[in-house]
Amino acid sequence: MARRPDEEYDYLFKVVLIGDSGVGKSNLLSRFTRNEFCLESKSTIGVEFATRTLQVEGRTVKAQIWDTAGQERYRAITSAYYRGALGALLVYDVTKPTTFDNVSRWLKELRDHADANIVIMMIGNKTDLKHLRAVATEDAQSYAEKEGLSFIETSALEAINVEKAFQTILSEIYRIISKKSLSSGEPAPANIKEGQTIVVGASEASTKKPCCSSS
Amino acid sequence: MKNNTTTNINQHKEEEQHHPKNDPSTVSSIDSRFNQTLKNVQGLLKGRSIPGKVLLTRRAEPLDDPSIQSPTFGRSFSHNDAGSRDHMHESMEEKDQSTSKRNNEGSNMLNSSTSNIENTSKETHKSPMTARATDSTRVTKFTKELSVPTVRLERLRELGWSGVPPYMRPTVWRLLLGYAPPNSDRREGVLRRKRLEYLDCVAQFYDIPDTERSDDEINMLRQIAVDCPRTVPDVTFFQQDQVQKSLERILYTWAIRHPASGYVQGINDLVTPFLVVFLSEYLEGDVDNWSVSNISPEKISDIEADCYWCLSKLLDGMQDHYTFAQPGIQRLVFKLKELVRRIDEPVSRHIEEQGLEFLQFAFRWFNCLLIREIPFHLVTRLWDTYLAEGDALPDFLVYIFASFLLTWSEKLQKLDFQEMVMFLQHLPTQNWAHQELEMVLSRAYMWHSMFNSSPSHLAS
Repeated sequence: MARRPDEEYDYLFKVVLIGDSGVGKSNLLSRFTRNEFCLESKSTIGVEFATRTLQVEGRTVKAQIWDTAGQERYRAITSAYYRGALGALLVYDVTKPTTFDNVSRWLKELRDHADANIVIMMIGNKTDLKHLRAVATEDAQSYAEKEGLSFIETSALEAINVEKAFQTILSEIYRIISKKSLSSGEPAPANIKEGQTIVVGASEASTKKPCCSSS
Repeated sequence: MKNNTTTNINQHKEEEQHHPKNDPSTVSSIDSRFNQTLKNVQGLLKGRSIPGKVLLTRRAEPLDDPSIQSPTFGRSFSHNDAGSRDHMHESMEEKDQSTSKRNNEGSNMLNSSTSNIENTSKETHKSPMTARATDSTRVTKFTKELSVPTVRLERLRELGWSGVPPYMRPTVWRLLLGYAPPNSDRREGVLRRKRLEYLDCVAQFYDIPDTERSDDEINMLRQIAVDCPRTVPDVTFFQQDQVQKSLERILYTWAIRHPASGYVQGINDLVTPFLVVFLSEYLEGDVDNWSVSNISPEKISDIEADCYWCLSKLLDGMQDHYTFAQPGIQRLVFKLKELVRRIDEPVSRHIEEQGLEFLQFAFRWFNCLLIREIPFHLVTRLWDTYLAEGDALPDFLVYIFASFLLTWSEKLQKLDFQEMVMFLQHLPTQNWAHQELEMVLSRAYMWHSMFNSSPSHLAS
C-alpha cells in the first residue's frame, strides 16, 4: 500500500465498530474523526470507513476505523472486515435494553470471525437521553467485567467520553503490540514506518504477513 | 483514422435509433465493428477526443465542483449523443424546445429563445431541472403512446429510457413496471383491485397487536421503525410523521410478504422515488414544501398501494439481492469489477494495487440503486431509465455503475487506498444537474451496446 511521505505515523491500528442498528456507531465515528454529529444520519449500508491520526502513549497512531451496518442481514458482508482488526468497539444504546441484550451475540460474532486477541471495548452510547435510560451502568459494568471487556459510557451527541473511549482502546492495543514485539522477536512495530504491509479490509487476502495484527 | 472513427460512431448511432438494442441485426453490426468501437472508447477514456457533433450543449450553470470538470468529463459531453436512444434524434429535429427555469440561467443553450411557454409553466414548478423530458416533441410522443387502447410497452420503454416528463411519470412508471396493464380498458379496474388488496394486507399484517407477531416480526418492525426516520433525511419532506408512517406500512407489508429476504436496510431508500412520484399527482411545487396533511386518507392509501406494488415489481427482478449474504449483489459487484477492467485498465490496476475491493464501495450502490450517491432531485430521472430497462435492469446497472465510477477515473488514480475509500463514500455529486447524469447514462448505454453483445470480451 502506497504511503504518502507527508503522512507520518508510528502505528496503524485497524478498529471495527459493531453493535445493533441505530445505537449510534456512525455518529461515534464522525464525532471522533470529524467532530461532527448528525441527528438523522442515514443507516450504514455494508461498511464505511474513516481515519484519524492521534497521539497515543507518546506515539503517533493512525486509527483506521471500519463502521459496520448493524442489521443482522449484513453480517455476512461485515464480518469479513473483522479479520486483521486489532480492536472492536461494541456499542449498545443505554435507552434500548435489547441492544444491550444483543451484546452477547456480537461477542459471539467476534469470536467466530475476528482474531482471538482482539481488544474489545463495550460502549453504552446515548447517555444524554437521561430520562430514557433503561440499562443501568452497574449492570453493564458487571457484565463487562464478567466478559473481560473494557467498558465506558458515551454521548456522541454531547461529545462526552468519545475521545476517551478511542484513546483507551488505542492505548490498550498499543500496550499489547509493544509487549508482543518485545517478547516474540517479531519485527519491531517501528518497522511499520518503513512501509510494511498492514492488513486492511479486503487486502487481508494477500499473502503478505501483517506486522501489527494481533493474530 | 479519427475521421473513420467518427463515421463509425455515427452509423452506430443511427442504427441504435431505429433498433431496440436486442434486435439481432444491431447485434451483428455491432459485433463486426467491435474492435473499432473498443478503440474509440479507450481513446475517449485516455483523453483523445473523438471529433463528433456536439448536440447536447444545454449546460445548466457553471459547475462548482472542479472534479466533475475534469478533462474526462468535459470531453464526454461531446458523446452525450452517442449513447442513449433518441438523443441525437431529438436534438436534431426539435427546434421548439421548452426549457426549464434552471436552464434559462445557463449561458450555453441551444434554443432558449423558442421555448414553449405553456410547457415551461407546466413543468418548472414540478421539476425545474428537467430539460429534455419536457421537449414538446417528446411530450407529444408520450401523449400519443399513452392514448392508444393498448400501450406498446416496448415503445414506451424506448421513450422512457431517455427520461419521462414529470407529470407523466406516475402513469408511465406503473405501466413500465407491469403494475398497470397496457390495456386501458382494464387499467382502472386492475388498479382498484390491487389497491384493495394492499389494504387487506395492511389490515392483516400491519394493523395487528404485537402479541400476534412472532419475535422475528417484532424485530423486523423495530428495524423498520429505526430506519424510517433516517430515510433520505436531507429531504425534509420525508421527516413528516405521516410520510414515515406510510413508509413503515409499505416496508413492513412488503417484508412480511417476501420472507426469503424480509426487510433489509436500504430497501427503505428504494420506496422514496415511488412516494415522490405518486404523490406528485396530488401535490405541486418543490418536494421540500409538500405537505401530505391535505390529502385524504383514501388517496394516501392508494398512493401507498401503488408504492407497495411498484416496489414489489421492482424487487421481483432482483430477488437474490436481499436474501442471506446477498448473492445477487455480490455477483453484480464482481461483474462491475470485470467490466471496469475491460474499459479502463489503468484505473482497474490502480484499484487493485491499492488493495481496494469493489465490494467496499459498490455494495451500497447496488443495495440502494445509487440513491445515496446522487442528489435526490435527480433520482426519479435515473429511475426512468431503470424502469425502462425492465428485466434487463440488474445487468444494465453494472454498466451504469461502471460509467458512474469512471466519471472520476483520473481522480481515482491519484488517490491511495484510504483516500479512495473516503472519496468513494462521499462522491462530489452534490452539484450535479441532469447533464452529469445523462452523461453517465449515455456512456453506460454505449458500453452496453458494445460489450454486452460480445460477452467473450468480458470473460477473463
